[in-house]
Amino acid sequence: MKRWLGFAIVILVGITAGLYYGWVINPVRYVDTTPTTLRIDYKSDYVLMVAEAYRVDKRLDQSMRRLGFLGAKSPLDSVQEAIIFATQKGYTDSDLAQMRALEKAVQTWNPALKQVTP
Amino acid sequence: MSRAYRYPDSDTPKRGPWYLLTGFILGALMGLVYAWVISPVEYVDTPPASLRADFKDHYRMMTALAYAADKDLPRARARLALLGDEDSAQTLAIQAQRALAEGSSQTEAQVLGLLAAALGQAPTPVPVTTSGNGTGQANQLPMTPAAIKTRDVSGEATPELAVTPRPEITIPPMAEQVTFIPLPSRTPTATPGAPFMLQSRQFICDPTLKLSLLQIQVFDASGQPVPGVQAMVTCSAMEKCQDSFFTGLKPELGLGYADFSMTPEITYTLRLGEGGQPISDLTPAECQTSRAERYWGSWLLTFNQP
Repeated sequence: MKRWLGFAIVILVGITAGLYYGWVINPVRYVDTTPTTLRIDYKSDYVLMVAEAYRVDKRLDQSMRRLGFLGAKSPLDSVQEAIIFATQKGYTDSDLAQMRALEKAVQTWNPALKQVTP
Repeated sequence: MSRAYRYPDSDTPKRGPWYLLTGFILGALMGLVYAWVISPVEYVDTPPASLRADFKDHYRMMTALAYAADKDLPRARARLALLGDEDSAQTLAIQAQRALAEGSSQTEAQVLGLLAAALGQAPTPVPVTTSGNGTGQANQLPMTPAAIKTRDVSGEATPELAVTPRPEITIPPMAEQVTFIPLPSRTPTATPGAPFMLQSRQFICDPTLKLSLLQIQVFDASGQPVPGVQAMVTCSAMEKCQDSFFTGLKPELGLGYADFSMTPEITYTLRLGEGGQPISDLTPAECQTSRAERYWGSWLLTFNQP
């Protein structure tokens, strides 16, 4: 019985040592991550950057590609999520207006109607 | 025979405490299985600083494009700070040069260069750190650049960023962890209209330069260096070539500075901006050190705006 107790204790010690190594000595470092993992506030700010650029260049194809940077979700979903976050966090009216203008443009985007440029 | 060397319920000789080591290894393995298989690490809510290098480049490019659109330098600076670059201006300048070398659009290189130049000359904002919102509630999310613009020091949402200097800084209870005090800044750009005129043309023998360079310095009418000016270089008729470069991409050498690496025995013509006067017969020539060592010299052209 004493032997089994010692066995159980060293197992716990092993688990503890593993966790200590993983969390303290050599913790996970986030490197080479993809934009899909960005926190919502960073994603929202990125969408705002796209909206600011779109306000000037009016290149929707380019904006769609830029929104694709955020990964799996559709560009429209990304913009709408960003607007919800921006509204909750009290972004300025001008920032919100730019994001809504981008949202409106994205809603009407039809790649089939894209102008062919030489 | 002593029972101290035998198990109490057995006549088997004792084999030492190996079972302890076995237990330890089993425990460590269980921990690893839990960490790697049952509940592996999932990357969520990561900051931009952890992005892969090419994604960081894209993020920088978007920051530069947004800056070109809104001219909000504190916001651009805050966005770039999220990437964790040691020297944002330098990183932008290098990226701009790389974009040019890789044949990316000149617009991209230009906006990167303009932001690099603006960062290189603007005063650094004073970071102010608050530990909480004054009500004992911890913040869930630190401020991001967009939110920086949305609030002033009173904590109220404001329609526009206040960029006037503040005589004193007060930090009322706020929900933000970190905010930046925006300082006014102006980005010099070329005065539209008047073309740049060649003020001086100088052949330089500098043994520290490893290449023969075509260096230009561009100043506006008030004598201030001007970043973002495009210089176009063409080669002589026998060696047809065309290239362009921009001032301000090496802010450490001056905001109005740019250079182009010349190939020996090729004659170049340089034109600054749209409608600028062509400067011809720019050929690398040899220089000699006091120990009779030969190397290629460089040209330095200084332009100003009348």
